[in-house]
Parts: sequence; structure tokens; C-alpha cells
Amino acid sequence: MATQPAGPSIASAQAGLVKEGGALPGRKRRGSAKQRSETLAAYLFLTPYLFVLCLFFFFVSLYGIGLSFFRIDLGFGAATFVGFKNYIQLFNQLANPGLSDFWTSMWNILKFTVCVVIGQTILALLLALLLQTIKTGKSAFRTMFYVPAVTSSVATSLIFLWLYNPNGLINYVLSLAGIHGPDWLNNVFWALPALMLLNIWSTAATFMIYFLAALQDLPTDVLEAAQVDGAGPWQSFSLITVPLLRPTIFLVVALGTIGAFQMFDQAKFMTNGQPLNSTLTPMLEIYNEAFNNGGFGQASAMSVILFLIIFVITILQRRMIDPGAQR
Amino acid sequence: MAQTQATVRPTRERKPIQARKHPYAWLKVIVYLFLLIFTITSAGPLVFTLVSSFKSMRDVLAFPPTLLPNPFVWSNYQVVFGNPLFIRWLLNSVIYAGGATILNMLFSAMAGYALGRLNFPGKNSIFLITLGIMMIPGAITLIPKFLVVNNLHMANTFWALILPAMAQPFSVFLMVQFMKVLPKELEESAMIDGASRWRTFYQIILPQVKPALTAVVILTFQGAWNDFQWPLVALGTQNMYTLPLGLFFFKSTYYTQYNLLLAGSMFNTIPILILFFIFQRYFMEGAVSSGVKG
Repeated sequence: MATQPAGPSIASAQAGLVKEGGALPGRKRRGSAKQRSETLAAYLFLTPYLFVLCLFFFFVSLYGIGLSFFRIDLGFGAATFVGFKNYIQLFNQLANPGLSDFWTSMWNILKFTVCVVIGQTILALLLALLLQTIKTGKSAFRTMFYVPAVTSSVATSLIFLWLYNPNGLINYVLSLAGIHGPDWLNNVFWALPALMLLNIWSTAATFMIYFLAALQDLPTDVLEAAQVDGAGPWQSFSLITVPLLRPTIFLVVALGTIGAFQMFDQAKFMTNGQPLNSTLTPMLEIYNEAFNNGGFGQASAMSVILFLIIFVITILQRRMIDPGAQR
Repeated sequence: MAQTQATVRPTRERKPIQARKHPYAWLKVIVYLFLLIFTITSAGPLVFTLVSSFKSMRDVLAFPPTLLPNPFVWSNYQVVFGNPLFIRWLLNSVIYAGGATILNMLFSAMAGYALGRLNFPGKNSIFLITLGIMMIPGAITLIPKFLVVNNLHMANTFWALILPAMAQPFSVFLMVQFMKVLPKELEESAMIDGASRWRTFYQIILPQVKPALTAVVILTFQGAWNDFQWPLVALGTQNMYTLPLGLFFFKSTYYTQYNLLLAGSMFNTIPILILFFIFQRYFMEGAVSSGVKG
């Protein structure tokens, strides 16, 4: 099957490289002409990458943290150092989080992430299990399921804008069941769930591929032994398959969380955070703060807080879902 | 008659035995039913959009919705293409996605060759930094990246789009993984033949890692072609917009004229879908290997 990961995991790659480096006679041969020419060649090959890595990844990350301690008005003189003032201002808003755009966006994204991650993980696992049980037509179905994952977020936003309109397809389907659907994207209660549904729809297929790859690697002898011992399909699924899938479930949940927390495209394109900030996400708030209010320092502080929250949650997830893992 | 009965009877007798052998045979029907439902929900919206992009404005918003366009109109595409900016946006998207893809393929392969095949001081640190950088979410870098690009006077140029995307840590990681498992003899024999290091890389190593190159090409192209956030931040004037930004602009111009909006969205969707149907294996493999991004 074509769904195996192209490379081993980070951990093994790291281990492999360190081992390799330790066994090499690089130190011994330092200074020899051959080694010097190899080093020169290596750095020449690396030049374009190092340029991008240093400027657009390494420097920019540090710069972002640095910016959060400054007050910056683009085009109005130099930046002024304000220490933790940007952070203090944000945390002071916690006294009345309902009035703060930033904390409103945080509350929105928390609801959004919980629902989307649960939804996409279950849907992805379900799709993978369904595909795993059939033989004929497997790759055709897989291809069709994957279509939403390759379509651009802007195109799907546009399409769902149309499907969600009060007279759209979704309300028509609901009306067949006798339900009078809301004006999804203009309704304070339904706008966020509408975006959740769109996100689950567009991301589940990617994670389905992860589960498919993992299911293929399951040791079949364990499952067969369970069958011989009289385990039903539900028992072997809940007692054998799910525990063996733990690392993959963690990966899917963590990647889903990281992605969902940074949701931007749909919120900007479809609702621009409206109605009444009910779809305002932190990334959209960061964008607005920087490019509409010119508060680049404040926006950077928000980015750092968002990053720390994502980081802490990912670690907690690892503890909870896959405690046996190393690192 | 008798003959047909004779042939029918044994199969009838066999059926209950088969059913007993596979007590979950009826499950298969349910499985396929679900697969069918999910196929409709996955690909259905896009197919329905494609079909509806040939509807008149009244039809596209009709309630109840109509399945097939009646009358069938080309005018939506004529209006979209009649907008002189639209061709420009399409071209800009091709430049951004094409430029980022070609450069990233070359530069990440070069970096992968150095990190995967050569020995030099600093190699481990660069590789570890690459791994670490991949775990930093884009959220933290959006604002400072814009300020850097702005200070370099590259805002609203193709440089702003292509430079940050022309050598991506994840692509480098993928290339290293593929290159370091190739046998050492490959280079040794090339060296004996007197080939330069560049020729060894270009003529010996690159052809060996075609699957990785394809995966990198596809992931980079898909990322740049579908990109919305960074062009939104980095570009300012309409003539520089890429297609996703142009569609965003379209949305505020044509408001509820979904017939035009849907036709426009097809230009963003169909090229990537064609690529997907040709190279689907690489799309899916690439997606899984990008899991290490987390």
C-alpha cells in the first residue's frame, strides 16, 4: 500500500544521526585537506537553506518574542521598550474576559478545538476502519475521501458560504427532515459550529491516512490470536486495536490541536470574526491587532501566549494519551 | 427447466453455509453503505459546485436547489475571465507556487545532500535545529516575518512570497531521511571516476530520490497554491494578489452572486485536483510524513 510514512519518526532519526556522528572520524581528520574541502562543499550546498533557516525561521521566532516587549507604531518613530506591559495589559483584561477581544477569541478557539479535534479524530478513525474492512474499491474510496484535504481553504470557504446560506443546500437537506435551519453564519450561536463542521470535513481525510498507515502496521498475529480466543470484533477493537493505536491517536490529536488553535482562513474569509465576535479566533485577533490597529507589540505578545498555550496543551495530551512514549 | 432447476438448487443450498461461515456478511452491506455516504459528503460539495458554476444567478440560489443547470450558461466563466485582474491573479499564483516549488525542491535537496551524505563540523546542530524549528507553529512568526519583509522593502513583491518558502525545514528533513539510507558506494565510484561533488549530487544522488523530490514538489506546490494567510499579510495592491486573495476580493465585490464566485473558485480548485488525481500517492505519503511537523 502507498500509505506508509516516507520516513521514520523524529526520535529515531535523531538517534540515528547522533550515533552516526559519534562513529565518524570527523574529529580525527580535522585539518586534513580532504576534510576541509568536504566541509566547504557541505556549507556551499547548505547556503540557501541556512539563509532561509536563519532569517525566516530562527531569527523571526526570536524577533517575535522580542517584539512582545516593545511598543511599535509602524512609521511613527522608533520602537520603545515597555517590558512586560503588553502582557500585563492582556492579563488585566482577564478581569472582564467578555469585554476583551483577545480572551473572547481564546474562549472561542478552545470550544472550536475541543469539538474539531474530537470530531476529526473519530471521523478519521471511522473512515480508516471502514476502508480497512473492505478489499474491492478501497483505493477508489480513499481517493474520494481525500478530495476535501487537497482543496484550498479559500475555495472550500467560498463553497460552504454558499451551502450555509439560508436558502442553501444544507438547509434544504434539513428541511427534508422537517427542520427549519438557521441562517448559519449570521447566527451568534450557530456560526462557530458551522465553522467547526467545515473544519472537520476538510481535515478528517488527512488524519484518516495516518490511521490507515498505522492499521496496516498492526501485528496481525495478535488480532488472530484474539479471534481464536473468541474475542468479538468490538472486543478486539477496544482491547487490542485502540491500545496499539495510542501513538497514532496522540499524533492525530496533537496535530489536530496545533492546527485548530491557529485557525484563520475560514474565520477571516467567511465571517471575519462576526457575528458579535462569535467566530473571532486568536490568529484573526492577532492579525486585526497588528494590521488594523498597528499594535505589533501587543499582537506579538498575543502570539507568544498562544504559542505557550499550544505547547502546554500538546505536552499534557502526550501525558494523557501516550504516557509510555519516550521523550 | 429441469436443467436450470438443477443448477439453481446447489447454489441455494450453499448459501446458508456461507452465511454461517461469515456471520458478519450483512455487515459488509452496511460498510459499503457508509462508504457511499461518506463519498457523497466528501466529494459531493465539490461536484455540486462544479455543476452549479454553470447555473444562472437565479438558479444557483433557488430553493429548493436544482441538481442540474437549466439553462446551462457559460456566462459566469466569461464574466470571471472578462475581469482583467483575474488573469493577473492566476498568473501571480502560478509564479508564487511555481517559483517556491522549483527553488524549494533544489535547495532542500542540496541541504539534504549535505546533511545526509557529507561529514562536516556543525552537521548535527543544523539537523537538530531543523527538527526543532519544525515544531514552532506558524502563529508566532506571522507578525515578525511581515516586519522583516517590510524592513527589507520586499512587501508587496514576489520576493516576499517566494523567499521564505524557497527552502523549508520540513522538505530538508524529508530529503535527509531519503538520502542518508543510500549506499555509500554510489559516491565512491563517482569520485573514482573524477566526478565533481556537484555532478555527483546532480547525476548520481538526485535520480535516486525521485519519490522524495516528487513529494516535496507536491507539498510545496499545494501549500503555495492554497496559501491565503501569508499573501494576505505580505501583499498590498490588487495587481499583486494571488488567486485565493483575489477570490477574497471577489467575495466583497460580487457579494451574493454565487454563480460568479463558484466559477472563480473552480480556478483555485481544479488545477490542484488534477495534480491530485495524477500524483495521489505522493499527496498522501507526503501528508503522513509531514506528521513529524508536530
